[in-house]
Amino acid sequence: MLRFQIKCFGDEAVVFDTASGDTHYLAPLTYALYTTSRKHPEMNACEAPVKLARMFNVAADASFTKLTDEAMSSLQHIGLLSRL
Amino acid sequence: MKLLQLSATDLRKQLAGPGVWLRTGPFSLKVQSKLPRVAEGLLELYGQFEVRDPNLAFADFHVEINSPGLLRRWFRPQVNFSFDGEQPFKPLPLDQAYPMLEWGLNWCISMHAHQYLIIHAGVVEKNGLAAILPAPPGSGKSTLTAGLVLSGWRLLSDELTLIDRKTGLIRPLPRPVSLKNESIPLIREFSAEAFINRASHDTSKGTVAHMRPPKESVRRQHESARPGWMIFPKWTADSPATLTPRSKAQTFMFLAQNAFNYSQLGADGFRVGTHLIEQTECYDFQYSRLEQAITTFNQLADRALDSNAA
Repeated sequence: MLRFQIKCFGDEAVVFDTASGDTHYLAPLTYALYTTSRKHPEMNACEAPVKLARMFNVAADASFTKLTDEAMSSLQHIGLLSRL
Repeated sequence: MKLLQLSATDLRKQLAGPGVWLRTGPFSLKVQSKLPRVAEGLLELYGQFEVRDPNLAFADFHVEINSPGLLRRWFRPQVNFSFDGEQPFKPLPLDQAYPMLEWGLNWCISMHAHQYLIIHAGVVEKNGLAAILPAPPGSGKSTLTAGLVLSGWRLLSDELTLIDRKTGLIRPLPRPVSLKNESIPLIREFSAEAFINRASHDTSKGTVAHMRPPKESVRRQHESARPGWMIFPKWTADSPATLTPRSKAQTFMFLAQNAFNYSQLGADGFRVGTHLIEQTECYDFQYSRLEQAITTFNQLADRALDSNAA
């Protein structure tokens, strides 16, 4: 069995960690970061806000970069993402 | 044989002796009690339920509700709930004997029936689809459940939504509906057909009474229902009845945090819960008038019927 079981509902998702028994909620930005990082494993931390900003049709400014960093931290904390 | 076919005297004798065997939804119970209030409650509320010979039939849960000792029969009389000889709760005043039986039965099911994912929610059915009503205390969940079942919806359960882990269907558990405080006169006024037993006062939930489940809901207690909606009701003064779509992922998170046994079920709880959410439309629901709320629910059920027919 895979460690993580993921179910997406529209632009959000929920994740079950079979190792810890914890369940996590992925908000739209966090889920988009997760799927993008899976699609583009070569993507680095600086490229992530740019790619995501394009997807969400917003400016890749400092506040958006901060939101992306937070999403990245939460994915790393869950264990769904290793450092970009 | 139905419980109402037992005379009051026979019921009391059986309760005080070998116990009364009862079938409620997928569970069988054996209840023993020497207390007249418990006999009265069972007679008034469980008349339509199947009973069998308690000496011959297997029971899932053996429960007893009695006074703790001789002294407590006279001085501030109290009652104890026992399950398989163990007492999981502190004693309560004698006036709360009947609600304590209902609370105790809820506890037995939610702690042991892990063949189901058990959500703390009312659940009602119409046109083959079930509306699950999870909500914190005070949100008007039981009042709405009572209003709906008095208006043609089938009662599946007032407190415990049982999701069958194998089929994903909802198993009915149509036991009496617990009403609190202002809900009691409100439901009495709402329908002359509602039978509500005598109230117990000063409980941890305030004044509590139970409404008899409709005969038809008890008759159909072995018919499972397909989940259709997850609706979070909230009574709000002067609010028109309003359904607002809510995030499915966040609804799942609520379910994961509020189901009685989600964490015990591990990955299978996740599978069953996400499958449930996938099948249902999820809404927040504000209302102030019961009649308007029922109209809104009927519209949902009619719309589902139309789309199935199309």
